[in-house]
Amino acid sequence: MFRFDPYSPAIDADPFPFYRTLRDEHPCFWSEEANMWVLSRYDDIVTALNDWETYSSAKGNLMDEMPNRAGNTLGTTDPPRHDRLRGIVQFAFTRKAVEGLVEPVRASANRALDAVQGEKTFDFVNDFSSKVTVDVLFGLFNLPRENERMVRDKAVLMVQSDPRTRQKGPEHLAAFQWMSDYAKSLVELRTREPGDDLITALIQAEVNGEKLAEREVQMTVTTLIMAGIESLSGFLTMFAYNLADHADARRRLAANPALIPDAVEESLRFNTSAQRFRRCLQKDVTLHGQTMRAGDFVCLAYGSGNRDERRFPDADRYDIDRKPKGHLGFGGGVHACLGTAFARLASRVAFEELLKRVPEFERVQEQLPWMPSTTFRSPTRLELAAAWA
Amino acid sequence: MAKITFIEHSGERLVVNIPVGWTVMQGAVQNGVEGIEAECGGSCACATCHCYVDEAFVDALPAPSETEEAMLECTAAERLPNSRLSCQLKVSEALDGLVLRLPEAQS
Repeated sequence: MFRFDPYSPAIDADPFPFYRTLRDEHPCFWSEEANMWVLSRYDDIVTALNDWETYSSAKGNLMDEMPNRAGNTLGTTDPPRHDRLRGIVQFAFTRKAVEGLVEPVRASANRALDAVQGEKTFDFVNDFSSKVTVDVLFGLFNLPRENERMVRDKAVLMVQSDPRTRQKGPEHLAAFQWMSDYAKSLVELRTREPGDDLITALIQAEVNGEKLAEREVQMTVTTLIMAGIESLSGFLTMFAYNLADHADARRRLAANPALIPDAVEESLRFNTSAQRFRRCLQKDVTLHGQTMRAGDFVCLAYGSGNRDERRFPDADRYDIDRKPKGHLGFGGGVHACLGTAFARLASRVAFEELLKRVPEFERVQEQLPWMPSTTFRSPTRLELAAAWA
Repeated sequence: MAKITFIEHSGERLVVNIPVGWTVMQGAVQNGVEGIEAECGGSCACATCHCYVDEAFVDALPAPSETEEAMLECTAAERLPNSRLSCQLKVSEALDGLVLRLPEAQS
């Protein structure tokens, strides 16, 4: 009998064959291990994303939710409150607002590359993607330049879960607690010393004449740090992984960097780190012969929708000429990723610099160590053999 | 379903049937309407699904929210009185026959 266990290391390593079976044979599947329904076809996921009244986020959006988070962040609130919160935050993330980050990202990428210049092999995760991401994010949020390494480690740890116990282990919860406390200290700092930054804007913002609760500010900051660090660094790593395995695509990008944005879009479709999020049903829904009940949780498997042949022909092929409009790499609907403009800009600039200095690289490890997570997917180390320009 | 016509800046017309409950943007992207970019995925954060609503329908649409109002100030092409962001337009039977013109540039 077919099973889909998002806690299993096999799914961490390669969920795509399982997704295919889900799409073709069980498009509305009850996963006992996850204790929720799984939607895997592109059209079903898009329909759910466009219907927040039925598919609510208010009970949490991560596959394994963290304590006291649901209801206190953008991703875990429904309209109309969500829209008011988002209206406050999103102006810090428009394309215009992040334009100024081009040169900081470029400089950061070059500093990371300077540190490993000439090395025959380096670990893309520790030596490049996480360094650049943390560096740039600290700039974006104007965070005090201390604890950078610690913040990164905790952000990565808090999104993981224990494959044996099928829930968050003490170390994951401790990481979340650490991040919440860190966010609290940032909020206290910006309350005492307001600045021209997002945290100050959140503290001072009013929704319908009411200030945000301290808990909301703190959880929103926690989530922005987690999403910024984990998701962006995970995506950069998956992009490098794709280019290591697809030498033709990489050589075309190195020869013509103007193609990088198209390759970013295809990587977002092909295997971006944000694989699965969840919703909670507000009423009974019958789909593909199954009846899902009000109160049931539903997993939206974005990573599967992105490989759905019904939407993307030859979906398992990595094709940088595809221009996959409407992909689910950033989710969709009212909760679509807040950081799209920032992520696209940072990815483009980081890879312009990387490919200029390391036009040739290949994967060293045959088997990669995949992060144990029910929501995200990326390797914890990606060793690359590099030929420097 | 509502039948919605998109007129690309080139003059090309595309007629698309969009299910009730979807956004106009989603229907456009699913059906290969070139002139809608929709970079942010439908969260009213990028102003790249800008369209000009046919005068006959302007009053049939709910007024833009505060966020849409603010994002309409960020469009690449000129904002006109009939400018809207298509990710904020929910399809209903009342929109059957809607005609939208697309701007020269979204970004």
